[in-house]
Amino acid sequence: MANSVLNVESLNVEFNMEGNYFHAVRDVSFKIEPGETLGLVGESGCGKSVTSLALVRLLTQSARVTGKIEYQGKNLLDLPERDMRDIRGNEISMIFQEPMTSLNPVYKIGAQISETLLLHKDISPREAFQQSLEMLKKVGIPRPEDIMDEYPHQLSGGMRQRIMIAIAMACNPKLLIADEPTTALDVTIQAQILELMKGISKDLGTSILLITHDLGVVAEMCDRVAVMYAGQIVEQGSVDDIFFNPQHPYTRGLLNAIPKIDAEQKQRLQPIEGNVPPITRMPKGCRFSPRCMHASDRCRAQQPGFFQVDNAEHLSRCWLNEAKEA
Amino acid sequence: MSEVLLEVKNLKKHFPIRKGFIRRTAGYVRAVDGIDLTVYAGETLGVVGESGCGKSTMGRSLLRLVEPTSGQIHFQGKDIMKLSKSQMRDMRREMQIVFQDPYASLNPRYTIGQTLSEPMEIHHLHNSTARKQRVQSMLERVGLDPSYSSRFPHEFSGGQRQRIGIARALVLNPKLMILDEPVAALDVSVQSQVINLLEDLQQDFNLTYIFVAHDLSVVKHISNRILVMYLGRMMELASSNDLFADPLHPYTRALLSAVPIPNPRVKRERIILQGDLPSPANPPKGCVFHTRCPLAQDVCREKVPEWREAKHNHMVACHLV
Repeated sequence: MANSVLNVESLNVEFNMEGNYFHAVRDVSFKIEPGETLGLVGESGCGKSVTSLALVRLLTQSARVTGKIEYQGKNLLDLPERDMRDIRGNEISMIFQEPMTSLNPVYKIGAQISETLLLHKDISPREAFQQSLEMLKKVGIPRPEDIMDEYPHQLSGGMRQRIMIAIAMACNPKLLIADEPTTALDVTIQAQILELMKGISKDLGTSILLITHDLGVVAEMCDRVAVMYAGQIVEQGSVDDIFFNPQHPYTRGLLNAIPKIDAEQKQRLQPIEGNVPPITRMPKGCRFSPRCMHASDRCRAQQPGFFQVDNAEHLSRCWLNEAKEA
Repeated sequence: MSEVLLEVKNLKKHFPIRKGFIRRTAGYVRAVDGIDLTVYAGETLGVVGESGCGKSTMGRSLLRLVEPTSGQIHFQGKDIMKLSKSQMRDMRREMQIVFQDPYASLNPRYTIGQTLSEPMEIHHLHNSTARKQRVQSMLERVGLDPSYSSRFPHEFSGGQRQRIGIARALVLNPKLMILDEPVAALDVSVQSQVINLLEDLQQDFNLTYIFVAHDLSVVKHISNRILVMYLGRMMELASSNDLFADPLHPYTRALLSAVPIPNPRVKRERIILQGDLPSPANPPKGCVFHTRCPLAQDVCREKVPEWREAKHNHMVACHLV
């Protein structure tokens, strides 16, 4: 589709480790449509955070990023840093996992929200202050006038995450990248924040790239899902495709491994045996093959590409889906 | 029901807040504020609540790793609050704990073999050959290769380290294990491996678990009974199925409704609690939950609700139930 908000094509990220380059992210492609929420799920070390940082070019210099990140007809990877800075925090903004460390401890809340506005918009400090106050009200902060004049340490974790959302949404971005936004929060606070994000995306039409390891959060928030394993997307589809017709053995494994809170009878969990291979010793064939119950010799020797499952949107990177496609 | 293993009466732990040059006590953080519990042999009692509700402090004070401010703890009929330090140390052979952070709870300078044999040395169990054998068999039992005993903690992944932590607790053959967020730091695929392991070990060694966690799906899966805590107090206690099928306390209801369910077609009425947890240094008067309770009435603001049996084996502290 021509009017996708973001179109990522074969994104690769390599890191230099002891003289050799290793792929932290390999051949990752996805699109984000206007107003939709795309979930990027996977376990620690699967490359989901590296992917999100690559999108806004916040990785360290030593990382080698190749591929294409198309935003409004431009490849973000080719832009000069100056232009990138105009986009970052303005049209594409981010919130991170740790609301404790992502705010500047020595600036007042009001100043931190205004900063974004002053940087990207041609407005006076007074206007910026007014708009910041409006943002605080929008994200449901009680006593917004007082909070404008307080420091981050005076606020709880949930409140700080609301402030982060206020900063991220201040310039009314087209895309919000949320990297584990509720992982550090308690469930009741998590529920508040998810509700807030849903409301904002609906009211302002913002697309969200939601990075998480929590399948419950995915089911609740996302329209489409990309499952990552060992630096690659292994399956991609609508939220219904992923939860009700999972194809890749890893996706199935993940779904079977979580305890079901609505289960009537206690069932034994079915874990995925083994561990994620280290980045320096990735298997030659399918990266999941050492842990996969269905792995054949071909899986161990040859990397599978994507195969279409039941609709054009549902893709699985597994040899088992080859036969089905044909 | 089977025999009583642990009985706790009115357990309290108040941490003093010290201020100023002479460190005078300016107040107390009421981390645990009146817990009454009976734990039966062979069961798993889950303890849930949000951060700061006192669940970990409670777990630790049961072993007197933090000294309770007041209350009674009877373990196998014996009042362990009366034991001297050395007697208590002997007692801990029977009561062990597994911690949340598998990175911080292993000594990085000890080999796994040293870490696992240290408890036996402290309790003067077995000679050195027998200890070695026990270490090896314990490693094997928790799903690790016995040859790992000569390796160091940094060589292991989070899941493997948690297995080591479990092996260390098990090596003395305890009766009671306190599991303080044992799987919170692990990824889902590994988390389920460790949960299955804990279930198997409980069967094989006839263990009693107190399973402290914030993840309600995990707690429901593993527990027979569940205690819900809020600001150091008990809110509700019931069998796992009963608590989820018919939660009585408004806090429990809100907590359960807040858990995201991994099924996109389930649409639920969600109870969103307003505001944050009040400070345990200055807990609200009356029912501690009244500041966030959607149903709070005048009586809740004045009187502490009584801990009572609202249904058969279903305890709750709420005026409105």
